[in-house]
Amino acid sequence: MELFGIWIAAFLTLCIYSFLYKDNPFYRFAEYLFVGMTVGYGIVLSYHQGFIPFAWEPFMDVFTGESLFGLIKLIPIGIGLLFFSGLSSRHTWLIRFPSAILIGVGCGLAIPNVLRANIFEQTRGTIEPFAAINAGTLSGMEIFSAILMVIGVICTLTYFFFSVEHRGPVKWVSKIGIAFLMIGFGSAFGNTVMGRVALLIQRVDFLINDWLGSFVALF
Amino acid sequence: MKRQIPLILCFLFGVVMLLTQFSPHSLSQGIYEEVLNWARIITPFALVFSTITLLQTHITRIRRQTEHWQYSFLVFGGIAIMVVVGIPFGPQNPVFEWLFNNVQLPMDATMFSLLAFFIASAAYRAFRARNLEASLLLITAVIVMLGNVPVGDLIWNKLISLTPWADTYANGSSLMKQWILDNPNLSARRGIILGVSLGVISQSIRIILGIERSYLGGGD
Repeated sequence: MELFGIWIAAFLTLCIYSFLYKDNPFYRFAEYLFVGMTVGYGIVLSYHQGFIPFAWEPFMDVFTGESLFGLIKLIPIGIGLLFFSGLSSRHTWLIRFPSAILIGVGCGLAIPNVLRANIFEQTRGTIEPFAAINAGTLSGMEIFSAILMVIGVICTLTYFFFSVEHRGPVKWVSKIGIAFLMIGFGSAFGNTVMGRVALLIQRVDFLINDWLGSFVALF
Repeated sequence: MKRQIPLILCFLFGVVMLLTQFSPHSLSQGIYEEVLNWARIITPFALVFSTITLLQTHITRIRRQTEHWQYSFLVFGGIAIMVVVGIPFGPQNPVFEWLFNNVQLPMDATMFSLLAFFIASAAYRAFRARNLEASLLLITAVIVMLGNVPVGDLIWNKLISLTPWADTYANGSSLMKQWILDNPNLSARRGIILGVSLGVISQSIRIILGIERSYLGGGD
């Protein structure tokens, strides 16, 4: 079974790499199968990790006499079922109910979390080294890096600040911001390329060692 | 009613989630957990509904026999095999795990690795040092890429060995990469994160207060 799995994986890997030559039936076969299996996998996970533990099991507790609290789960189940009103053109407006709840919950969750993790923590991280500068525990290079960090953050924010016209000193500050952004994008690009190349190496390694190695086991 | 009730629901659930996070009281935390569980229960229905619309699209493709319509059966097959094995027996089932490890995972990794080739051709077009900004992008990307692999330090050490500072500045390629990631890169990212976060907060407040209503769609 393991050998069969290796051959299936190798066949599908080669099917996808065949796209490097041009679009062809083998690539399309793997592409459509991939879409279907990914959707199926998502359904299975959300059923077993979302619906079963948070709706079905508490609801079943009602029948075992453990807790009547599970009855309340009928409300979100009913609201969730309203999604299927989208299949009828006359009742499609009912889809707004579950959507509005999910969007409301998402927004309510986002405000304090974004404020805490992205604004307070990032601002604290930017100015925190200055306390160490004051205590005299940082090296010259670390002091330079701390000052550069503040300059970078202010200049980048200035570039995205459109309430004032970018003229005179603001223009120059925003130009420095662009330079920092370019360094940021360059780093992101470099890391992305290396990540993709690592995946490519892993797939080639699989083809050479696991798949071609399986020929030895076969013959 | 068709628009007002969803707006009220969005407001209520948004405000409840917002306020309960600021109170450590057990009742408040209980409400917070329960509402979060409601969202977890509702979300799988959205996924099933989106799958039905995907199936409808492919059924239409098959019925109209549009280009490559035969492949739509593979989408049905893929969904069916995962659901038939996964729903009754669970994701820990050996057959489901076998399908994931030998079919889905290799395709996923290969699809992403395919981007290595396209990203290389995109880099060729983007990385021409035409001005200061493009040059910064090029230099940073090259340093980060070389700093990520052992050959970067090998080249650096070979070059630095020709100078009197060979011992002081060994492994400069990876050190330079790390300094760029920790300082100018992080400052740019922090600027972006702060800007995006302010946008997220303002947009969330607009949605909760019913000023932003585009999620309701058109119609009455």
